[in-house]
Formats: sequence, structure tokens, C-alpha cells
Amino acid sequence: MPGNRHEDEFDRELEGWAAARPDAQVSPETRIRIHNKLSASLVPVNPIPSVKSLTLILFLVFAVCAGSLITIGDKAGFRLMTGRQMLIMAAVLVAGGVIFSFSLACRMVPGSRPGFPMALALMFWGAGMIGGIALLFPWRNSTAFVSEGWPCAVTELSIALAAAALFWVLAQRGALFPDADLGAALVGLSSALALLVLQFRCMFQNVLHLFVWHVLTAAVLIGTGALAARFYRGRRIH
Amino acid sequence: MLMTQYQRADAAALDELVRRISPKLLRYFSASRSIRHEAEDVLQECWVRIHRSRHTYRSSEPVMPWIYGIARHTSLDAYRKRKRLESHEVQMDTLPELTGESASSIPAPLERLEALIADLPASQREVIVMLKVMGMSLEEVARATSATIGAVKQKAHRAYRTLRLALSKDDNAR
Repeated sequence: MPGNRHEDEFDRELEGWAAARPDAQVSPETRIRIHNKLSASLVPVNPIPSVKSLTLILFLVFAVCAGSLITIGDKAGFRLMTGRQMLIMAAVLVAGGVIFSFSLACRMVPGSRPGFPMALALMFWGAGMIGGIALLFPWRNSTAFVSEGWPCAVTELSIALAAAALFWVLAQRGALFPDADLGAALVGLSSALALLVLQFRCMFQNVLHLFVWHVLTAAVLIGTGALAARFYRGRRIH
Repeated sequence: MLMTQYQRADAAALDELVRRISPKLLRYFSASRSIRHEAEDVLQECWVRIHRSRHTYRSSEPVMPWIYGIARHTSLDAYRKRKRLESHEVQMDTLPELTGESASSIPAPLERLEALIADLPASQREVIVMLKVMGMSLEEVARATSATIGAVKQKAHRAYRTLRLALSKDDNAR
């Protein structure tokens, strides 16, 4: 046990502190002011769908966008990947779509239970991506590593930014309080979509290329999203 | 029930909600040392946010974690705004000592604990306030803070450990 203070003594002191909170009487003027302010814009509202339904809606948008972009774009990945590679990578990326759809849906509804911490979700999904790539794809060196890679990063960035804007608009249906977790969930969902599309478009299916130009770009995007949401909140309250 | 009526634009339900919930919210805001003196302003801001977010409440879910989920963000924003203002004012050397305000409302023997709680990281402090001052359950705190029950337990445990250690150090120094 830390320190030598007796636990009962500490508990009593803490209970005493809690009980000694100043009396919270709201003045009638304040109550009237609140009532007048709110009743001026009091109109009926439709309750938002449940977190489960919101998750489903977000995931359906994710699936439709990914499916459409894969269909209309280059399909080099289909030709270069084996059935096993396609199946496992699609499963990991779709799992990312489900995880981040749920995380974003939870953040749209105050007082909802997230089920798992965002850091843990990112860690597991990241481990799944890295493990999947390391075990499934060949380690091949390329003399044109940068020139082959940067177009993938640019494509990923473009898809992720467009998707983030779309998911942000959809998320506005809820009550959003920007913080790092919201930024990570939003950009995580967009990045999972971009990675899924890119996986089936890319013609450089080797570990180093996938790690650096796909996964690392997504990690940077998610980190930037989390920081941007924190910064946005800081600016908003200034 | 009241919340559902409020969502249907029932002014009487709104009035009843403001009457019932405001004292609890004010108690919650007053528990934070740095925004205590402006708790009524924060309360008004919180009600504006509740009003804007009222469509996100679902009658199948408990109402208080939903309310505190919004109140928590209002409180955090007010706290950060206060901190920013304080830093500006300190630079101009005109800031009155804010910590002195709390002393009047807390019995002298508890002032030391009050100061230690004020020094806790914000995430641990809010868990202590919700659990001890507001009497919320672990499940309610987890919902209000968008965290898992395990994370709430861990924050509370860390806060208690920090406080016990600091109090024991003080005792030994005497």
C-alpha cells in the first residue's frame, strides 16, 4: 500500500471533502434566464438512431465508397495478390472500418459506452496491418522505392481527405465535442477506406512499399487527425 | 420521460428539467476549483449545449450520463478558457489569487486535500468528482467520460494512490 496513511482515515477525509462541497442553489434569475434562452428555439426534434444503427450507417457508407472506388479504379492488386493475401488484407481493413465506425458513432452520442479505448483499437488494428503485411507479402528491394511510392501516398491522402470530409458531414448528425479520440476515429475510418482501395490498386505488393507508403502514411494521417481535433477545440474555446 | 417530452418541444418539461437538473450541474461545476466562481455562467453554457444536442438523447438510455457527458465537455472548455485567461492576466500582473476563493467554502482541515485534488491531472480529478461528489456509479462515470469501466477504475486508483502518498508525506513532515 502506498504511504502509511490508514485507508479508513483517507476514505473518511475524502468523504468529508465530497460532503463539504458548497451548496448548489441555482438562483431563480439564472433559471428564468436559461428557460427563456432555450424556449426561444424550442422545436420538436427527432431522436438520433442508436449507436448500433449509426455504426451500421457509417460502415455502409464505408463499404459503398470502398466498393465504388475499387470498381472504377485500377485493379492491379487483384492480379498481383494471391487469394489468401486478398482475403486476409480485406478482412483486416474491413475490421478497421467496423472498429472506427463504432468509435465514431459512440462519439456522436454523449453518454454512450465506447466498449474499448481508442488507443487499444489503434494498437490492435495497427498490429493486424503490420503482422498481415509482414507475414503475407514478400520482402523485395526496389531501386525506385521513392518514385514508386509517393504516388500511392498521394492517392491515399486524397481518398482519406475526401472520405474524412464525407464522414464529418455524416457525424454532424450527432453532438460532436472535438478531442483527440474523435479526430483519430474520423481519420482512422477514412484511412481504412483509403488503404482498402489502395490495396487493390497498387502494383507494388511488397513489404517495404506497403509499410512505408501505405501504413506509415495512414499512421501519420491518424496522428494528424487527432492533433487537429485537439487544436480545433483549443481554437474554438479561445 | 421528461427528456422525451422536451424533445417534443414541451416547455413545461423543459422548465421541470432545468429545475431538477441545474442544482446537480451547479454542484458538479462548483467542484472544480478553477471555474467555481463562474459556475452559473458555465451552467448556462451547458444548458445551451444540452439544448443543441437534445436530439442525441435516446429514451432507452440513462439520462444522467448523457447530461454529464455534455457537462464534462462544457467544464473542460471553461477550465481551458480560464487557464488561458489566467496566463494572459498573470503576464500583465493583475490576476487576483484564484485559489483563495476556495478556502472560504471548505473547512480548514480539508483544504490540504482540496489543494491536492486540484493538482491531480484533469482526467483523474473529473473521475474523483463524479464518483465522490456526484455519487455516480462506475458505469455512469464510464458513460459520461466515454471511457471503459476499467479505465475509470484505473484513473480513480491512480488518483487515490497519489492523494494517499501526498497526505502521508505531509503527515511525516510534521
